[in-house]
Amino acid sequence: MTGFQIGKQGRRILFGGLVLLFVLIIILPIYYIFLTAFVSGPRLFTQPLTYFPTNLSFERFTTVLDSLPIWRYMFNTIFLAVSSALIALLICLLAAYAIVRLDFPGANLVLVGLLASSMLPPFTTVIPLFQMYQSLKLMNTLQGLLILYVSGMLPVTTWVFVSFIRQIPNEIEDAARVDGAEFWQLLRHITIPLLRPGMVTMFLINFIAGWNEFFIPLIFARGIESKVITMALSEAQSVGSSTQFYQNWGNMSAVAILATVPVFLLTLFFQRQITDGISSGAIK
Amino acid sequence: MSGVTTTSRPIARYRSTSLRTKQILLAYLLVAPVVLWRMFTTVYPFIATLLLSFQDNSPVRRKAEYIGLTNYQNLFQDPRVRESLTFTLSFTAISVVIQVLMGLGIAELLNRRFRGRNILRAINLLPWAISGIVIGTAGTWIFNTDYGLVNDIIWRISGQRPLWLVDPNSAKLAVVMIDVWKNTAFVAVIFLGGLQGISAELYEAGKIDGANGLQRYRYITVPLMLPLVLSMTIFISIFRVLTFEIIYALTAGGPGSATSVLSYAVYLEGFRVLNFGYASSIAMLLFVIVLIIGIVGFVFLRRAVSRL
Repeated sequence: MTGFQIGKQGRRILFGGLVLLFVLIIILPIYYIFLTAFVSGPRLFTQPLTYFPTNLSFERFTTVLDSLPIWRYMFNTIFLAVSSALIALLICLLAAYAIVRLDFPGANLVLVGLLASSMLPPFTTVIPLFQMYQSLKLMNTLQGLLILYVSGMLPVTTWVFVSFIRQIPNEIEDAARVDGAEFWQLLRHITIPLLRPGMVTMFLINFIAGWNEFFIPLIFARGIESKVITMALSEAQSVGSSTQFYQNWGNMSAVAILATVPVFLLTLFFQRQITDGISSGAIK
Repeated sequence: MSGVTTTSRPIARYRSTSLRTKQILLAYLLVAPVVLWRMFTTVYPFIATLLLSFQDNSPVRRKAEYIGLTNYQNLFQDPRVRESLTFTLSFTAISVVIQVLMGLGIAELLNRRFRGRNILRAINLLPWAISGIVIGTAGTWIFNTDYGLVNDIIWRISGQRPLWLVDPNSAKLAVVMIDVWKNTAFVAVIFLGGLQGISAELYEAGKIDGANGLQRYRYITVPLMLPLVLSMTIFISIFRVLTFEIIYALTAGGPGSATSVLSYAVYLEGFRVLNFGYASSIAMLLFVIVLIIGIVGFVFLRRAVSRL
């Protein structure tokens, strides 16, 4: 009996230890970047490191905000993330609905073709797109970036909506149809309300993907009109008193925090929806 | 991802052919935006990349002429491309194995019942939510020799400060560590979904039959999770082969081209050297690898699933 209890106790300690290790590995680097951004002057830069400093300040944030067009980058980022996630939501929902519910020749081909097209990553398309964008005058424009942001979201979003719609029993729609509901009414009053949780999830996941996008703006955004927050990190390192070692890393960390806090809040707040969304894309 | 066939019933019992035609037209109208959007932004430019790969094409040299397979011949003699190819594959293999194993472990951890489980699940997602470019850039600081977090910990334990991003092997290790830190969460969440899908009754039945924890894992969890684990392995392998941001920000392919990957080679050749033709041939090499993983994975997966 005692042996059993010790075993149970031991397992509990082991479990607690694993959880603690897991949390430390994730939190410590994040905490370290916060320190680098908030500690005033060169106070962090000691050997060994000072993990619990006394003087905190916003000086790096003011430096960065004064010398870089961070607010404009933020605006561009939010605009691109919100509008691309919304557009993807709308057109993928319609396409998925047609694929599942409207029996048309080639429905499977569309679905498989979409999935196959996700085997064509940006690296295999970016050079001709670059040439195209130059002749179409889409370089360095938000609408040019928007087209490519949306493109990346289409296959998975459609796929997930197809699996969501398949889970809605036909009977519900049949009943509405008997009551005389037409196609658009059906979609608006039956399907969309039932899909709302899935739509929220896909919006969140696509928003975060859009917020974090880097490769597309790296190639197609050249100036303040279209640059996004992920591009400001390297700029921050050479800002202000760029000869001071601690200042470069502090500035970089400040921008890293500005670029991360919004998605952190979303993730913490909508943990459950995001978790469901990620697993429903893969499992169903 | 297995069931491709649409099994659901069509929406309307159409009474006439004109109604049926209308329905099909409506369907095409509804799928048109997604299909055309993808055509315009991926299918067409992909074919253009293929054509470019047979050209000596450079906007700076004002050249665009057909040279057959020359780019591909150069490709296999280019030591930088060879190094990029080798590291792309070894990085993918190592990173995927670690992430699948750790992902399974973390999923088990997150599936236990305990106070604060939802907080732990949220913490798990944090690295997933951070942009790769932020993690890569912050990584250069975290792996800094004198004041980096990693070396501070190592120094407290062993009194040494290894050079991370200067030495080829430790730079490779740093890339893997950062990639694992960022991307294991995603794998763990999917495995968690899989574990939650296993009915608790099965475990109860196993308990009644006298199976211990390890046996229950071996005979219930493993066979039920195997298809998901295999399909995820393929899925994340393709993602890893396309890794770009971490390399771009953390090592810029260095030292030398020790940590260069094919996507980074495409970027350098295409947008720094502006050698569009040659860059396109590297992109096609990258595509062939993605395709091979996809096809091998698909065949392998079918066989594995049908055997269960």
